Amino acid sequence: MTSTAQELHPAPTLEPGRTILELKGLEKRYPGTHALKPVDLAFKAGEIHAIVGENGAGKSTLIKLLTGVMPRTSGDVMWEGHPAALATPHEAMALGINAVHQEVVLCRHLTVAANMFLGEEDSRFGILQQRAMVRQAQKIIDDLGFDLPAHVVLGDLTIGQQQLIAAARATVRGTKFLIFDEPTAYLTRKEADQLFTLIRRLKGEGVTIIYISHRMEEVFELADRVSVLRDGTLVGTRTISETSEPELVRMMINRSIEQIYHKEHFTPGAAIVEARNLSGKGFENVSMTVRAGEIVGLYGLIGAGRSEFVTTLYGRHRKSAGQILWQGKPVQVNSEHDAIRLGMALAPESRRDQGLCLNLPVGLNLNLPIYKRISNNLLISNAQEKTEADRQIADLRIKTPTRNALASSLSGGNQQKIVIGKWLAHGAKLFIFDEPTVGVDVGTKAEIYRLFGALLSKGAGIILISSYLPEVYELADTLHVFRRGKLVATQGFRTADHEEILTQALAEKQEKLGGQT
Amino acid sequence: MSTEAIPAEKPKRNYNALFGLTLLALLVLLWIILSVATPSFASANNISNLLRQGSMIAILAVGQTFVIITGGIDLSVGAVVGFATVIVAMLINAGVPVFIAILLTLLVGVAIGMFHGFGIVRMGLPPFIITLATLTSLRGIGLLMTNGNSISINNDAFQLFSRSSFLGVPNLFWMVILVGIPAYIFLHHSRWGRYLFSVGSNAEASRLSGVNVQRTIYMAYTLSGLCAAFVGVLLASRIGIGNPTQAEGWELQAIASSVIGGTSLFGAVGSVHGPLLGAFILATINNGANLLNVNAFWQRIITGALIIVIVYFDGLRRRGK
Repeated sequence: MTSTAQELHPAPTLEPGRTILELKGLEKRYPGTHALKPVDLAFKAGEIHAIVGENGAGKSTLIKLLTGVMPRTSGDVMWEGHPAALATPHEAMALGINAVHQEVVLCRHLTVAANMFLGEEDSRFGILQQRAMVRQAQKIIDDLGFDLPAHVVLGDLTIGQQQLIAAARATVRGTKFLIFDEPTAYLTRKEADQLFTLIRRLKGEGVTIIYISHRMEEVFELADRVSVLRDGTLVGTRTISETSEPELVRMMINRSIEQIYHKEHFTPGAAIVEARNLSGKGFENVSMTVRAGEIVGLYGLIGAGRSEFVTTLYGRHRKSAGQILWQGKPVQVNSEHDAIRLGMALAPESRRDQGLCLNLPVGLNLNLPIYKRISNNLLISNAQEKTEADRQIADLRIKTPTRNALASSLSGGNQQKIVIGKWLAHGAKLFIFDEPTVGVDVGTKAEIYRLFGALLSKGAGIILISSYLPEVYELADTLHVFRRGKLVATQGFRTADHEEILTQALAEKQEKLGGQT
Repeated sequence: MSTEAIPAEKPKRNYNALFGLTLLALLVLLWIILSVATPSFASANNISNLLRQGSMIAILAVGQTFVIITGGIDLSVGAVVGFATVIVAMLINAGVPVFIAILLTLLVGVAIGMFHGFGIVRMGLPPFIITLATLTSLRGIGLLMTNGNSISINNDAFQLFSRSSFLGVPNLFWMVILVGIPAYIFLHHSRWGRYLFSVGSNAEASRLSGVNVQRTIYMAYTLSGLCAAFVGVLLASRIGIGNPTQAEGWELQAIASSVIGGTSLFGAVGSVHGPLLGAFILATINNGANLLNVNAFWQRIITGALIIVIVYFDGLRRRGK
């Protein structure tokens, strides 16, 4: 395709434009889900190939197959024309396939240099050449134009800086094929710019880049070609100059926005909860009201303080200042227990870390908040335990063989239904949904939105946190924008346009990234 | 409604029962082999002896299992047993009625368990550390209290209890049943049992679901301490003395029994019948090895090998599921 900057570094093996990696009918099934339907796709050496798709479209599955983290169900992968098993991460790395993950998977307690050379330490007579490695690492980092010290402990850097180190690490390992999985999710604008410089430079060196992102503007800025995944199917591949954002969105979603975002309007009732100048760790001076029958959306970048705000409201963390009013009366929420007793329910951000007991049965997870109700002083009523669980499974259409199956055996969407379902049996006045549709397929998404409507119609109020703007935009009756721990703007239903809201969330004017020209 | 074909999966409870049956089969198989191999194994005397040997570890293993299910570990139980023999011996010799003496000893066990809970929940210490600290200090406190001597218990009735039988079954084994049945109901049919599992699986998710995680942890260690103190009373009755150095290494036997019985050291997996069977499998191996005149050193090696084999196969099956 492109052949810029070739004079600096010769291409590793193949001349640009030749096929380096080809997928033939690559397929992955999990119990209960068909995560990736047979995909045929060829990546050209030295191209930046973007892959876009909604959450749950199969992007992460594809990465896991390519990096050998998980075995494929069927299909072939041809590496430089030869079949590759890709059975282990080690094999993938030996071929030159590396990935930079959205969440940094490095050793936080080791130094930057130690991380860069992890597994390939420089040693003489069995003694680590620490100083030499730090020097070398520093040289690589400086070379890439990152302003970061190599001798500090990785954990002392920001997530964004760690991400840059992870990218730098991938470049020193003879990488020919590098996958970036939503690398900018945690980056500041400046860090993202540095990363893009690095990516372009790698491309110049002939490395093939797979760039996975939600952010259209990045795709148009960086990529040569773009492939769209939807519900595990490859919808199509386009050359970037011959496509447009609306076309990609159409391919990604394949249905009108109205069809997904099921929105019912209710006349808001009395205030359920009111936060007055609430401050705590990660956010300050936030005031808002949630009324019966309304969805209050919280939009912002990851780390903007939205989750911290709701977990403090929920009593998980202490507030440092401010007041919480519940149905007009000031209350103290010192623990989750207090919050639940008042009538709050929280479906937390991370299913894995906060939402589910993964190695326990679906039924136990669903009943966890209501065991008190379904047991007398001593014993649990087996019959009630069964009916409650089975009712949620049927109502929410959770795809599980029985309520005794382990939560870990379910797909992301069905797991999310458990996280939500456990509060439906319990009942609450205020439902807090923190990123409820991450990793959830489109069908389940629509079901979850319909559920919001059902909850609202019963007089509940909802706080909806989402980093996916269309979601909060189409659903929220009141939309608050967070930036760096502060509530910076408030809109009514669809009163501002996307760009305006995005600008409010980012604040730093969208210098060179914003425009897609 | 949900019509997508999903490969049928064995429900977890069945799996547990199946594993229990396998253990039971292993135990019976050992008994059959030993009955054939040695003339003395099947004698009433030896069986009683075997049941007595296994009983105390079995009770410890039940308490230990509660703790392990929450993802913790209680290394102190052996020391608590030794300490409890001293407490109960001193109380009885001081003229305290036996019933009261036992009750007070059990309360000491509860207090030790509460202290562990305090260390973990309030001080943020890892369970391994706080219980290791108690392990060594309790031995020291016991030695200080006794000046390093054993205390002979001057109460024949108290000692007679552990040697007697009821309906032909040693009293000590009845104690296993006395502990086992409530423990089973507690773990599998009460909400606190569910909370033990949920905390062991994901403490944060449990907390956000309204489970009182701290109380659950207190409860697990308290029950373990209580079981250990109870075993201390039984041991004192059996050997007729109070001695803080008794029950050396029992914590490891209890943990081994629990693990052989299918408890996962990562938490959230375990039962009551498993550890009980595990304890009697270990007791049978020791007993059988004695009868077969196998060097006592070998017994330890066999126990170690058995732990590896059983846990390995258990892991294989869980993964294969």
